[in-house]
Amino acid sequence: MSEKIIEIHIETDDVNESRRDFLKNVGIAGAATLVASPVSVEASADSANPDAETTVAELYQGHFVLMSDKDKKKAIERLEKRYTAKYGKNTTVSDAPPLEGVLFGYALDISKCIGCRRCVHACVQENNQSRDNPVIQWIQVMKIPKGNFSFSADKLNKGYPESSKVGDYGIQVGGNAYTPVGGLSTEEAQSYYSQDEMVPDKNYFYVPVQCQQCEKPPCVKACPVRATFRDPNGVVVIDYNWCIGCRMCQLACPYGARRFNWGEPNLPPEEMNPKTHYFGNRPRMRGVMEKCTFCVQRTREGRNPACLEACPVGARKFGNLLDPESDVRKILAAKKVFRFKEEMSTYPKFFYYIG
Amino acid sequence: MYKINSQSVPSTIIVILALCAVLAGGLALVGGLDIHKTKKSAAEEQAKTQGEQPVANCYESRAIYAAVTRVENAVPQYGYPNIKCSKTTGGVLWYGDPFDGTIPMGEMPEVNDGTHGDFANAVVRPREPHLTYFNMGPNGCVTCHNGKTVPFPKDKKPRLIAMHKDIVEDSIQLKHGRGAMWCLDCHSATNRNKLIDRQGNEISFNQPQRLCGTCHGEVYIDWRAGIHGKRIGTWATGGKKRWWVCTECHNPHTVQINRFNQIKPEPAPPPPRGMKNADYERVGHGVH
Repeated sequence: MSEKIIEIHIETDDVNESRRDFLKNVGIAGAATLVASPVSVEASADSANPDAETTVAELYQGHFVLMSDKDKKKAIERLEKRYTAKYGKNTTVSDAPPLEGVLFGYALDISKCIGCRRCVHACVQENNQSRDNPVIQWIQVMKIPKGNFSFSADKLNKGYPESSKVGDYGIQVGGNAYTPVGGLSTEEAQSYYSQDEMVPDKNYFYVPVQCQQCEKPPCVKACPVRATFRDPNGVVVIDYNWCIGCRMCQLACPYGARRFNWGEPNLPPEEMNPKTHYFGNRPRMRGVMEKCTFCVQRTREGRNPACLEACPVGARKFGNLLDPESDVRKILAAKKVFRFKEEMSTYPKFFYYIG
Repeated sequence: MYKINSQSVPSTIIVILALCAVLAGGLALVGGLDIHKTKKSAAEEQAKTQGEQPVANCYESRAIYAAVTRVENAVPQYGYPNIKCSKTTGGVLWYGDPFDGTIPMGEMPEVNDGTHGDFANAVVRPREPHLTYFNMGPNGCVTCHNGKTVPFPKDKKPRLIAMHKDIVEDSIQLKHGRGAMWCLDCHSATNRNKLIDRQGNEISFNQPQRLCGTCHGEVYIDWRAGIHGKRIGTWATGGKKRWWVCTECHNPHTVQINRFNQIKPEPAPPPPRGMKNADYERVGHGVH
């Protein structure tokens, strides 16, 4: 008996030993690549590159919100220097604070939207997304057959279980799981409809979807490092430098609004927008998450988001939900308004309406 | 007069009409080529006044009717052009300067609707430079519609008119008002440079909302309140905004068929990784 026990002990020790060694080696290798890769990549591109140091400094930078003002200033300077060198444009990285007494809201008229996708490409022009490999677009325009959306009275009474001899089973009101009533079904939605067909098609309606800036954002709950958070204006933003790229937020988001930089973003210098914000459209790096921020670099300075300005039919409205005179509040008061996937209890501040 | 379509009208009529024009107005209109030249020179004049040359393939809301031109370095601080256009469709995608080429909207009449309109800092891009026929002569439409070259109508009784067929194919079948309206309900009979409302007030082409609103009151009130129509610039109440007026989005002559004319969309995103196309979207999937 005792011999056997000893043997087992030896075996387990061996196993533990080897596992520990293995982990140790991996850890060292991982750390080495982690520290070495940005430096070596930059250095190989240009040996006299001024941003080699700043890249390492960026790597060790803390969460932006928790930084001291001095550190923030330093971080901004580092970024501005790096972007200016990389894109050959005098780039400004703003850290304009959230506005006082403002809660941003957005309203979109699905009866007007013609599905021209201009908002999608306006967003790309404004927000420095990767243009190619990966192609990143923050707005998705769904083309949905008419009939998927209904407030009509005849549909409201459908979906009740049939009565039978043994009685009624279950209570179901207003449609069923596949054809909900009073909401929007994305069944048979097409997001890749061709650019060769003319829009609007009379048999379809169009629903652009972007980040809904939820009051209870599931992505923020899912983030293990709090790199994404809801700012005081109600906009969910990301500290790209603090993001670890685990993509938990992407899984958590019911709207498919988050995009991941699977590769090094390709942003042609001539198309780069040099007016950026730290939490907004500054160029991202590989392996971080990004999404719509309501153009934080614009809206914190009072201007409308780029998608709104591009919409040729005026289907998009933006404003302060705390101001009763704002366009969005007037729409909420006067029009038929709904939220997308209301049943998820995310309380979006992005409203769809019928104008 | 300038509406001659050489394919539909016999060439003799063109010559006769053109001669008339030469005699009456002293304009050098001998053939199609000269018409084009006049159009071009008018466009150049407009370009001088606006500091930019309209290009047909870059437009805002309505193709053809809202041509705009890209000006490089319009915002020197960031090296922005005034606008960025789509390379595939020509649609304006992005505004470097949202107030480029705008003028103040002017005082809008008070409406007892509780909206009061936020017009203090409202600007619009004038419509007149974008109107093809308006810009064909030095005096606008009056160059031809002066009562002599084209006589003023004797009464307001609708009749078939063969002119301006590219705008309205058949004036009796005007696609607005379902047969209850015709040209002179909106256009002034004696001053073609102006629109006219039912009280006989002349209205500029730059302010069509003052005319449209007389019938479409509900939409007009929504528009004044900021719910209907496009506005860009600042989001704050009372801030400077560029307003879009009715005819920048809608074609009043065909609005009965389409609220917005069909246009080509921007390119689709590439299909998901590992997929050659997105045909799976077109076939039904899941349970019905």
